[in-house]
Amino acid sequence: MPGYSEFYFNVDHGYLEGLVRGFKAGILKSADYVNLAQCETLEDLKLHLQTTDYGNFLANETGPLTISTIDDKLKAKLLTEFHYFRNHAFEPLATFLNFITYSYMIDNVILLITGTLHQRPIAELVPKCHPLGSFEQMEAVSIASNPTELYNAILVDTPLAAFFQDCLSENDLDEMNIEIMRNKLYKSYLEAFYKFCEKQGGTTAEIMRPILEFEADRRAFIITINSFGTELSKDDRETLYPTCGKLYPEGLHMLANADDYEQVKRVAEYYAEYKAVFEGVGSGSGEKTLEDAFFEHEVKMNVLAFNNQFHFGVFYAYVKLKEQECRNIVWIAECISQRHRTKINNYIPIF
Amino acid sequence: MGSLFRSEEVCLAQLFLQSASAYSCISELGERGLLEFRDLNPKVSPFQRRFVGEVRRCEDMEKTFTFLQQELRGAGRVLGPCPESPRAPLAREALRVQEQSEQLAQELREVTRNRSSLRGRLRDLRQYLHVLREGQRFTSLPAPLGSPPRPRALSDREPILDPSLHQHLERKINFVAGVIHPWRVTAFERLLWRACRGYLVASFVEMPEPMEDPATGESVTWVIFLISYWGEQIGQKIRKISDCFHCQVYPYPESEASREDTITGLHSQIQDLSVVLEETEQYLAQVLDKVALALPAWRVQVQKMKAIYLILNQCSFDVTEKCLIAEVWCPVQDLTQVQDALRQGSYQSGSSVECFVQRVPTSESPPTLIRTNKFTAGFQSIVDAYGVASYQEVNPAPYAIITFPFIFAIMFGDVGHGLLMFLFALWMVLYEDSPRLRQGTNEIWLTFFEGRYLILLMGAFSIYTGFIYNECFSKATVIFPSAWSVATMANHSSWSSAYLATHPSLTLDPNVTGVFRGPYPFGIDPIWSLATNHLNFLNSFKMKMSVVLGIVHMGFGVVLGVFNHLHFKQRHRLVLEFLPEMIFLLALFGYLVFLIFYKWLKYSAADSRVAPSILIHFIDMFLFTSNVENLPLYQGQVPVQTVLVVLALASVPVLLLGTPLYLWCRQRAPSRPVATGEQEPLLDGQEAGNSVNATKEDVESGGHSPDAKHLDFSEIFMHQAIHTIEYCLGCVSNTASYLRLWALSLAHAQLSEVLWTMVMRNGFVGLSYVGGVVLVPVFAAFAVLTVAILLVMEGLSAFLHALRLHWVEFQNKFYVGAGYKLCPFTFAPDTWD
Repeated sequence: MPGYSEFYFNVDHGYLEGLVRGFKAGILKSADYVNLAQCETLEDLKLHLQTTDYGNFLANETGPLTISTIDDKLKAKLLTEFHYFRNHAFEPLATFLNFITYSYMIDNVILLITGTLHQRPIAELVPKCHPLGSFEQMEAVSIASNPTELYNAILVDTPLAAFFQDCLSENDLDEMNIEIMRNKLYKSYLEAFYKFCEKQGGTTAEIMRPILEFEADRRAFIITINSFGTELSKDDRETLYPTCGKLYPEGLHMLANADDYEQVKRVAEYYAEYKAVFEGVGSGSGEKTLEDAFFEHEVKMNVLAFNNQFHFGVFYAYVKLKEQECRNIVWIAECISQRHRTKINNYIPIF
Repeated sequence: MGSLFRSEEVCLAQLFLQSASAYSCISELGERGLLEFRDLNPKVSPFQRRFVGEVRRCEDMEKTFTFLQQELRGAGRVLGPCPESPRAPLAREALRVQEQSEQLAQELREVTRNRSSLRGRLRDLRQYLHVLREGQRFTSLPAPLGSPPRPRALSDREPILDPSLHQHLERKINFVAGVIHPWRVTAFERLLWRACRGYLVASFVEMPEPMEDPATGESVTWVIFLISYWGEQIGQKIRKISDCFHCQVYPYPESEASREDTITGLHSQIQDLSVVLEETEQYLAQVLDKVALALPAWRVQVQKMKAIYLILNQCSFDVTEKCLIAEVWCPVQDLTQVQDALRQGSYQSGSSVECFVQRVPTSESPPTLIRTNKFTAGFQSIVDAYGVASYQEVNPAPYAIITFPFIFAIMFGDVGHGLLMFLFALWMVLYEDSPRLRQGTNEIWLTFFEGRYLILLMGAFSIYTGFIYNECFSKATVIFPSAWSVATMANHSSWSSAYLATHPSLTLDPNVTGVFRGPYPFGIDPIWSLATNHLNFLNSFKMKMSVVLGIVHMGFGVVLGVFNHLHFKQRHRLVLEFLPEMIFLLALFGYLVFLIFYKWLKYSAADSRVAPSILIHFIDMFLFTSNVENLPLYQGQVPVQTVLVVLALASVPVLLLGTPLYLWCRQRAPSRPVATGEQEPLLDGQEAGNSVNATKEDVESGGHSPDAKHLDFSEIFMHQAIHTIEYCLGCVSNTASYLRLWALSLAHAQLSEVLWTMVMRNGFVGLSYVGGVVLVPVFAAFAVLTVAILLVMEGLSAFLHALRLHWVEFQNKFYVGAGYKLCPFTFAPDTWD
């Protein structure tokens, strides 16, 4: 039943929506970041984080505090919250939440394959995976030698199987192919997610559409820029672009033909929001990178998702904002521990 | 009692603490719990404060304690509460505690690590043993007892090795054997099948005894697997896969004989290990004993220490850095005690220079401190729930001690119900020291328990009003003989038996001599409970009673305002506010009360037919008319009423404009000094310099400074206008609001009557034995319903209405309630848990 979700939304999802809005209030404010940025040591950082919603999440750490433990604990907290959502969710919210995890699963699979390619032991790679995207057969990924085997033996049981149809080939797994596979997976994933949100209709579609469109377009831009100077052909490049964005189809076509950064920028100029993003990028070393500009735009869109009620977008937005918050805290912690204070303010404030 | 009437005098004071003895002084003050400390560095973030290192040290210690406690809990021991409250440790002692606790933690860590590694080894060996044993079923020559193996694998791909085939292939077959978590079995099996394309035989069997999972500590029945395969490449793959699934893989000897050897070897190893493990366990128990003994006291000590450093962080240093300055709110009465505590603190730390306390003048309004005991606490909390009293204003709590239960009882008047409630409260009061009652975890129960004295009085007053209404479980009791004589009436109108039989209701005429012999000595005459016009009579009585009590209650509230005006030296408000308010209330509603009493006294049964209606008179009074059909109550009623209404109306503009105009005039007279007779301190100018706070904004100063007064004239006027409108309209609506007394008492009486007639009366089926049997369940139902509906539900509703009458109707006549409580820094025993 598309639309009119306000009439029956609360029956199944009211509790979780209330909960996620409550959690959202715990996201660090800009005043918190100002305080964090003033910290002299990681212990200070911990002390300040204790006064926020994070509470005593680092209290039981014995031994000196490292950035990786902070990162792990931040992620663990997000994971606990997410699992709580997932365990209490009804359909179709449950599927929606699953979709959120798929992107992390893709990243994990690719990470493991790349790691095995470089002869790293699996035990060293697993802790680097994002906990949101871990699944049972994950570690077995390393035994596969080509995509078909990967699919047939391991991924066929996982939810990722559906996205894999496009990238079945007998090619060996080399670095280029892995990258292509990642992008193809992502493309199918984004398109499937987009279709799913469209099917939900109502406010969910309204909110998620721009967010996913942006995600798709961002990938297209990044793929284009990263492919300069590699042996990827223009036609191949075009097949990697997710087709659910605002750029589809003309913009993607133009991107496929772009040869350097300036041409990409010219493509972006046809679209008001991307124009603003590209204009925000500075050229100097201390200034914003394109990645940061994209992140900033993403944060802005995710914050907007909270302005509407009775939709699933808040869950997606919350996870993404929380992830950004982790990145911010880790960035600040890095700057503190490396005594690199000039760049400490390059985090992206959320509220 | 003086302290309950208004809050105690509290002053701002500065403590000058020698840095050497500051710690012990604060510790001493915390033990006594006298002062509220103010944060002098509100702009300094927590990690930039002075004693952050010490606080962090305390936190480190707490971390160690948490670890110790976890270990204790893991060993199944419960930590008892700390028997006596140890004082905060001195620096040397704290060091000792830290050292000892860390040493213990270190020891514990080592022992537990040893133990877990031993356990791990043991588990490993056992698992290996099981693998070998179970594996024999699949690999040995014909099973010795002919018992069929119990493989978990699906039967369609489960070629149990044919002994003959086995012989044949022996040289080529290799084995991988191990254990796997039961949840992962299916996925593991599936992946094996897919990855190796079926070139293997996998058998699964459950281990006969559950073992601990090293990751989660849970007891799990592991699954043993034995994979036979052909070819080395597949073997590598299998090993890799089993690695991914966190399987424990064991070497599986190929020949039967070497397997036997391994098994015997394992047996002896297991035995040796068990002995070592047992010894380790014993040692661990000893260490845990030590921990359990010392930990409770340490925890309290360190928590106190941390609290002290947090307070010290709120102090500021003077210029010479030798002395800490703290700002506190201190009850004036306790100043000597504070000085005493400081002296003791300095003495304990062996400092030669004494710490001292000094009062500081301030324009800020101090916090409210009202000392209560266990009896008054319940009543005070009712008032505090509305709003904490402003500093030194009249506290309504002492009056609530009587009025609250009384007003409740008016709505709950029933001897039986009151008695039950009284007994319940009495039980709580008598056993109030019993720890079982005190330490209940049920929040609802604790609420009742906190209010036990309130409930006690409510019950007692309900018994009293029950006697007045003459109702006990809705039945009237005949304590005195009724004042009405039916016999006289019967004789007078010579009712025959036949007449009586045909007429179900008869009239008793009070005008016949001897039928009505004067009023009943106490309460309502029981004969009314038989009358058909029972309700009419009671309604009229209860309605008038509610109005009279309401107006008296409100009038009392207005009078209490006088004490505020006098105390705050605002004599103008006496004339400009109290007087018009009182005139307004008395001229209109006081007069109504007068009319009610006048009519009660003037008109008896004889001339009741010509008695005028008060309602019509009251309406006419406002319309300045008179009604010919409604006889006047007394001579000259119309002029008196006119004068009263004019007086009341005239007092409204006085109330509206009086105070603002007065303040305005005073401001216009520039020669007058600002401060005479006002509450503003004389030292206003110096005060900012005296306070340690460098800027005045740090102290949250309200609109108290004289500058603010100049500007806010319009605000004063607005405020007064709102107050006037609220008061005048409130007099009308609040009087009507008191009618809830009537409504609720009516509802209660009717409900209990319904319960009696609909439930209890069904039990009186006859005087036979059957009737006695029927009575049991009927009484049970009656008792349950009485408690559930009449006592709990009705009681709560009457409580809420009594609460509202106090908060809204009574307290808004004089009570501001804009204060904040004094929260003294204290080592409260309940904060440790």
